[in-house]
Formats: sequence, C-alpha cells, structure tokens
Amino acid sequence: MLTRQAWSPYLAGVVIGILQIPAFLLIETALGASSSYVTIGGIFVSWIDPSILKIDYVARHVAATGKNWWQVALVIGIAIGAFVSMKLSGAKRAAISPIWQRALGSASPAKRYAVAFVGGFVLLLGARIADGCTSGHGLSGMAQLAVGSTVAVAAMFAGGIAIAMLLLRRI
Amino acid sequence: MSVILAIIVGIAMGVVFGFALEKSRVFEPGIIVGQMQLRNFIMLKVFLTAVATGAVVLAVLNGFGYVKLQPKAAAYAADIVGGLLLGAGISLAGACPGTTLAQIGAGYRDAFFTLVGGLFGAVAFSYVQPALAKTFLGQSGPKIIFSNMLGVPYWAGALVLAAAIVVTLIALEAWSPWRGEMGKDVDGDLPASPPPEKASMHAQPAE
Repeated sequence: MLTRQAWSPYLAGVVIGILQIPAFLLIETALGASSSYVTIGGIFVSWIDPSILKIDYVARHVAATGKNWWQVALVIGIAIGAFVSMKLSGAKRAAISPIWQRALGSASPAKRYAVAFVGGFVLLLGARIADGCTSGHGLSGMAQLAVGSTVAVAAMFAGGIAIAMLLLRRI
Repeated sequence: MSVILAIIVGIAMGVVFGFALEKSRVFEPGIIVGQMQLRNFIMLKVFLTAVATGAVVLAVLNGFGYVKLQPKAAAYAADIVGGLLLGAGISLAGACPGTTLAQIGAGYRDAFFTLVGGLFGAVAFSYVQPALAKTFLGQSGPKIIFSNMLGVPYWAGALVLAAAIVVTLIALEAWSPWRGEMGKDVDGDLPASPPPEKASMHAQPAE
C-alpha cells in the first residue's frame, strides 16, 4: 500500500478530509496553506526591512501563536510526506514535468522557471486577496458550506480554466 | 496548546497530507493543468472527495457540539478577484500553495521557483494590504453558510452536500475512470487527446 505509485483519488481524498478532525479538535482551525507564506515571507523580509512588522496584517501572521506556526509546520510536513511517499514507491521525478514542454511550447528550463515564478507570485497574491487558497476556501470552506468560499472556488476554476485554455498549449 | 506542540501536530498532519497528495498524484503539474484544460479529472475527484469527507466529519463534530465552525467571511469582490488570480496562478505554476511543497518533496526543481514567487507574492500583498483594505477589495462581509440561509441545521446541509458529491463522483468515475487518467509514469502525461494537435511525442529523459 505505502509502496504503491498511485492510490485511488477517493482513498486519498478521504485521508485528506479526515485531517479536518485534528485541525478542528487540536488547533481549532480548518485546513489551510497560504497564510504560512505571509508568516515566512514576513520574517525573511523583516531581516532587511524591520518596518514590515509594523504592518498589522504581517504582525498578526508572524506572531508566535499555535495557529500561525502549526500551518508553517503543516506545509513543511507536506514536503516531507511527499518525499517519503516518493522514496517508498520509487516514483522519482525529472527536474521538470514533461508536460511543460508541450504546455509552454519550449523545452527551455529558464522559460519554465520564469513562468513558475510568475505563477507562484500570482498564486499567492490571489490567495491573500481572497483570504484563502484551494485548501482554506476549497477543502475547508466548501465543507463548511461557506457562501464566500464557494464563490472563491468558482472564481478559482474560472481563472484557471481561462489561463490554461488561452495561454497554455494543450498538454 | 503551546506553539511547540502545535508545530509537532502540524508536521505530523503535513506528513499525512503530503503522503496523500503524492499517492493521489494530484500534485502533478500534468494532473493540475490537465484538470484546467478539462481533460483530466483526478484533481476534481480528490478535491470533491476531501470536501465530502470533511463535511461528514464536521457534521458529526459540530452536530454533537464538539467543535465550532470556522467559516471565512463572504467578501464577494475579494473572493472573485482573488479567486481569479489564484486560478491563473494555479495554471501557470501547475500547483496551488499546498501542492507546491509536495512538488518540492517529490523532486520537481521548478517548484522552488513557484515557492519563491509565492513568498514574493505574499510579501507584495502584505505591503499593499493597508491600502487595499480601504478599497472595495478590503470590504469584509458576514460569515454566512448555505444551511443558515436555508434555515436548516449545519449537519443536515453538510450531509446533503456530501451525498450530492458522492452521486456526482459516481457519475464522473463512470464517465472517466481514474486509472485511465494517470498516464504511464503516473504524472498525468497522457497520449494526445482527441483533437489531435501536433504529435505529442516528447522525449524527456528521466534522470
């Protein structure tokens, strides 16, 4: 089981959904990922520009609270879990997924890295404007029947489909 | 709970989360971009299953009074503008904020650029947040949930949502079985789709 290369999406989905139990019971919060970028980004930048900590939004995210640092630990754990799973199954990845050569119409790693950087920038800018990402609004917001989160998820798919259809080539 | 204990819980939960993301292959750019190009539905399947499971779990925990719900405020302008940008980022990055870390763990090098771009994006937002808060994007709204609007208890609404998702997934799986969406190297890299553009032969050597 642990050494298999792929699980059914339904098994994996159930495992992820069950994680709401410790999130709500132990941390009194819902699964989420994007706030941690504000915590880590804010701390890095504060070494160069300490005044960033005077922005209330940043101060709230870097504060030594269980919720803030639980989420930073969660995303670090995601990398560890994926690494262990990959090692157990032997599903080692190339440096860049082969689909990008077709999606971008170029085999240049530099082009892919530039698109990835811009993609990451827009990803987190959008997530922070919307106050949540695929986890916070998607997994947690929709499970809680939140109206705003459902609107955010619809917009997410609309934006994603538009860019994937118009800007990227068919993979 | 102390911060140290919260970090230990976070790491443990993250390891399980990352494991499930890797095993389901939903962290693969091929699966995520494939979903947005509507030719691969593994992302929707994992996502909806996790939503339905979460809804059942919370229906029980909240219904019996063990936990309070934590819905985010409905700020429609911010939800729409932010959601559109977030979606655009998902397609360009081939990842979302959580799966970026799974890609790093699994060995994708471009994911480091997504991560750094994401940190820059979060910092850029942080700098403009005080100004943005005074615009239409800073308007917060009520923390409304659908079941309250309909006048039914949350647990009932959550169970109805879960049931509706199960029906949807059964139909989706019958229409497009998941094994056929994985690809030879379990990365969602599938043979050319029905509207055949140029030959999809690519020779990316696995290191």
